[in-house]
Amino acid sequence: MATPSDAVEAPGDPVLPVGVPAARIRGRSPWYLAWLRLRRNRISLAFGALFLLIVLFCLAAPLWADQVAHTGPNENHITDTVMIDGQQTDVVSPDGTPIGPGLHGRYLLGADQNGRDVMVRLMYGGRTSIYIGVAAAAITTVLAVLVGLLCGYYRGWVDATLSRIMDVVWAFPVLLLGIALGTALALGGLKIGALQIAGDSLWIPIMIIGLVYVPYMARPIRGEILALREKEFMEAAVAQGKGPVRIMVSELLPNVVSTIIVFFTLNIANNMLLESALSFLGAGVRAPNASWGTMIADGYQTIYTAPHLTIVPGLMIVLTVLSLNVFGDGLRDALDPRAKIRLEH
Amino acid sequence: MVAVLFAISVLVFLIFNVIPNSDPAARIAGKNADPELIARVSADLGLDQPLYVQYLTMMKQIFTGQLTSYASSQNVVEQIWKGLPATLSLCIGAAVLWMVLAIWFGYLSAVHAGKFTDRALTILSLVGISVPVFWLAAILLYYLSFKAELFPTSGYVPLSRDPLDWAYHLILPWLTLAVLYVGFYSRVLRSNMLDVMNDDHVRTARAKGISERQVRIKHVLRNSMIPVVTLFGLDFGAVVGGGAILTETVFNLNGVGLYAGQAIGTLDLPPLIGVTMFGAFFIVLFNTLVDVAYAFLDPRIRIGEAAPV
Amino acid sequence: MSKLRTALRKVTVLSCISAVAVFGVAACGSDDGSGASGGGGEINISMTSFPDYIDPQLSYTLEGWEVLYNVYTPLLTYKHARGEEGTAVVPGLAEAMPEISDDGKTYKLKLRSGMKFSDGTPIKASDFTYAIQRLFKADSGGSVFYSGIVGAPAYADGTADTISGIVTDDATGDITITLDAPNGTFENVLGLPFAAPVPASTPLADDATNNPPPSSGPFMITSVEAPQTMTMERNPNFQSVLDAGATEVADANVDKIVVTQNKSNSAQVTGVEQNTIDFMVDPPDADRLQEVKTRFGDRFRMEESINTYYFWMNNQTAPFNDVRVRQAVNYAIDPEALNRVFGGRLHPTQQILPPGMPGYEEYKLYPGPDMNKAKALLAEANPADRDITVWTNDEPDRKRIGEYYHDVLNQLGFNATLKVIAGDVYFTTIGNQSTPDLDTGFGNWFQDFPHPDDFFRPLLNSDAILPTNGNNFSRASYPELDAKMDELLTKQLTEGDTEAQYAALDKAYMERAAWAPYGNEQFTTFVSDRIDFDKAYHHLLFNQDWSALALK
Repeated sequence: MATPSDAVEAPGDPVLPVGVPAARIRGRSPWYLAWLRLRRNRISLAFGALFLLIVLFCLAAPLWADQVAHTGPNENHITDTVMIDGQQTDVVSPDGTPIGPGLHGRYLLGADQNGRDVMVRLMYGGRTSIYIGVAAAAITTVLAVLVGLLCGYYRGWVDATLSRIMDVVWAFPVLLLGIALGTALALGGLKIGALQIAGDSLWIPIMIIGLVYVPYMARPIRGEILALREKEFMEAAVAQGKGPVRIMVSELLPNVVSTIIVFFTLNIANNMLLESALSFLGAGVRAPNASWGTMIADGYQTIYTAPHLTIVPGLMIVLTVLSLNVFGDGLRDALDPRAKIRLEH
Repeated sequence: MVAVLFAISVLVFLIFNVIPNSDPAARIAGKNADPELIARVSADLGLDQPLYVQYLTMMKQIFTGQLTSYASSQNVVEQIWKGLPATLSLCIGAAVLWMVLAIWFGYLSAVHAGKFTDRALTILSLVGISVPVFWLAAILLYYLSFKAELFPTSGYVPLSRDPLDWAYHLILPWLTLAVLYVGFYSRVLRSNMLDVMNDDHVRTARAKGISERQVRIKHVLRNSMIPVVTLFGLDFGAVVGGGAILTETVFNLNGVGLYAGQAIGTLDLPPLIGVTMFGAFFIVLFNTLVDVAYAFLDPRIRIGEAAPV
Repeated sequence: MSKLRTALRKVTVLSCISAVAVFGVAACGSDDGSGASGGGGEINISMTSFPDYIDPQLSYTLEGWEVLYNVYTPLLTYKHARGEEGTAVVPGLAEAMPEISDDGKTYKLKLRSGMKFSDGTPIKASDFTYAIQRLFKADSGGSVFYSGIVGAPAYADGTADTISGIVTDDATGDITITLDAPNGTFENVLGLPFAAPVPASTPLADDATNNPPPSSGPFMITSVEAPQTMTMERNPNFQSVLDAGATEVADANVDKIVVTQNKSNSAQVTGVEQNTIDFMVDPPDADRLQEVKTRFGDRFRMEESINTYYFWMNNQTAPFNDVRVRQAVNYAIDPEALNRVFGGRLHPTQQILPPGMPGYEEYKLYPGPDMNKAKALLAEANPADRDITVWTNDEPDRKRIGEYYHDVLNQLGFNATLKVIAGDVYFTTIGNQSTPDLDTGFGNWFQDFPHPDDFFRPLLNSDAILPTNGNNFSRASYPELDAKMDELLTKQLTEGDTEAQYAALDKAYMERAAWAPYGNEQFTTFVSDRIDFDKAYHHLLFNQDWSALALK
């Protein structure tokens, strides 16, 4: 059988090697094909790299704090002076205006109203924001997959009950829920039996954000599982005598992995936006810790005299979330070029 | 629907009774109060009753329009009613703006798929959905309002008082609220249109000799709109129900969102339950409307076949 | 297709341009119709927080009192004067200062005759009794100041139908008040809006905000739309009060005031700068302050106010139960740093009493900031328990103060955790004994009336350590100082060396470092071009005196 001499390019298809007999063409797994597609999407890769760069930037926080800025993220320097261009300048002027950004190691991005180094806070704040985003995404994913699988597999009253609960969570105005829980738990923390979480622990906003987006992710997964359930391979699995857990884990779950991966990535982005909103309203990360959201909230007070305090953390959020969104988009295109998940067992 | 509303009200009530030290009686009694005064206030407000009695009383008060705030003795239902014009002005205006822009951008993107216009619009859309709303509001306020003095810095002017001023004060809030959704919806429309463009019925239409533009608008666009409309219903419900809180706060618009924000700041339970119920009601209402509209728009559902996922 | 697109684009651009043009024109400030010069006209005032109640017996915030000072006149009132003169209690609706019996327990007053409320009803002596009754029946926070009247507690809990300690005669206008015990603050308390007579048509047990009672002051309230806006207009019947011989009350200088709430301080600053707002009640935020000071100095000035900002420290539990630790904190904090957090509006202090309060005397027991001295003291005390919780509330400058203090404590060698509580519930949270870990935190106190007892008793007396809602956050309990407080209360301020003794009491508490006070917040007067800046003045108790606001 003759192999095509010209490469045939269908949108999204990788190029088959020219001149190789068909029998010798190695079968490629869907994952490898996806990877090839992703590799060709330069913009997505670029933004994925950008995200990694931002993560690295934030991880370098202790280095910067020690070596360059010589101050921690929460250290106040209201009445201190710093040597800039050979002149001793007030970090915070007597009328409360902090110094602005400039090319000096200390206070590279200026200071905030408490005399704290904005650059240092930005890096530490990034760690907090990204950590919350990823951890919350993990919680959402686990819960959403669980709910989706259970609903899709069992249907009936399990589906009805869980879906009602999802409806309640979905209908609860998100910000109000986040703020309500955040404020409620901030004072005394959470104490359920042996589980004890301090009021200012990051796990409180993580749990809240994780919980809020479960319906958002659970519904599509549930829809897919419901569709998959009707397929022949399911009948085969049942006929083989596999129990429900095995079926869910080894038959259904692998088929939704692509959806999970895509949603997980996009979920991190949404989580970071929600965290910044909650922190802005005072219900997310608690003072004096930095997160990009709290930095915007703090900077908002002095937006007229020191706009950089608001602009910089916001830009970081936009860059990070954007890179996650673009990369997530690229992932979705790569994992499923026809925009409908249809991987067969 | 009723069950969902009921569950939400119980949740809110419980959460706020779990917060330690937010005893409204102590707050109302003032900074110098002695224990006797606090006890009297407590009894007057019915706070010494068991929780479920308090809950039932509060629910009754919501429905009879008698619910009063702890912090300020104003009627909650009245305040929500007063805040409604601002919130609806903001949400409806933003919704019109975002739908018009989203359809336009999505259409352009789909039609020029893969080319520069598409890429540029996609990046713009992605930027749109990556921007925190309150931050964008602050930046717009700073640059366009404070520095350039093009727009007023805050406040809501009722439509009845001065339509031009009303719109003038709302332009920046509309823009801010719309940015996020334009990005999202244009991409949804684009991906739907791309799907539909390769469908059989479109190819048939083309084969019949209908102009490309007609095909695009009458066949492709129309059919792609169904999921967009349903999504719109859900999002609009969510925005009115509480999504506008940040925009209203930053722009100081006296709407339901701002009222909710203040109530949260003061941990004032009655307005919070009122606003949450209001919000949930809207979300559930629109959920239902969307289900109905979906059935109406998609004849396949009406006729009884399974809807595409 | 492309033609349509081009056309669409043109239309869009054109409409955008014209929209901007139209709105640009509309943006040029609108000119309110200004009234006649001197003694007339309409002004508008903005405030960040609307008054809690438009009800003289219920309102207990500065915003509320500022509004009500010139709407409801009590039997006694505070002099309409700037500075310390304004803290003097003078006759209002009463003919003269009260006759106080020798044992200090009976006060006799006489209501002026022929006075009318704004709706024309005559002002009667029994209207005073009615006002006091409202305090108890409407559960007012101010009722505590009057529970020393004989028979008041019985009336409050319903066992009596009247307050036996108040006897009035509507025909002669005589009012006799009997107290349980002599009380040097009672005259001050009679001058507060709480004690302003209101007609018996006012609801006894309900808040009258939506329909305020007829007024006895230069202004009357004509409409209220809480919490957005309210309107006050000249009281046509105020002349009857002036004609009855009241000399210490002031007449209105404008015909109408429209009060609007505006959550954005910055927008208010811009409004006053651009003359669309005539007066803003709150001081400009720190970041606009400099701009206002430099560019609008001809209609802006800083004003003293009677308040103290301090850090409370739990005197009864470790580690702050050791006086050396408390003194270390006093050495460590830097009032200048805190002043910068306020944008330069904080006058440094190390006293309990603020300047302007009788009994204020300036001295520095802990000159500083001296971090070395502080660390030395701490090393000497060497507390075993270094894990402490620092409390503050979430208003922006309070949060920054908390963050600063938290950092200072960490520098000192503690392991501090910061807890930020919602503003409205902050004081009830830290005033609640059952809240765990109440070690130290932000505190401030604004006077209720210019008498030192108003500072010492609620904040430092052992009796003020209550299970809930106590204001003695420091849990300071020094029986010998309590006794002194009680002794001084029975005296009148003008008697002998009472003021000096209060100053000594202040020093005694600071020697024990019960608190770490650091500043007195200054307020501001910032008015539009239209307002006569020289006439406008800041009253030490009621913020701005609105009767003095006049158009040029």
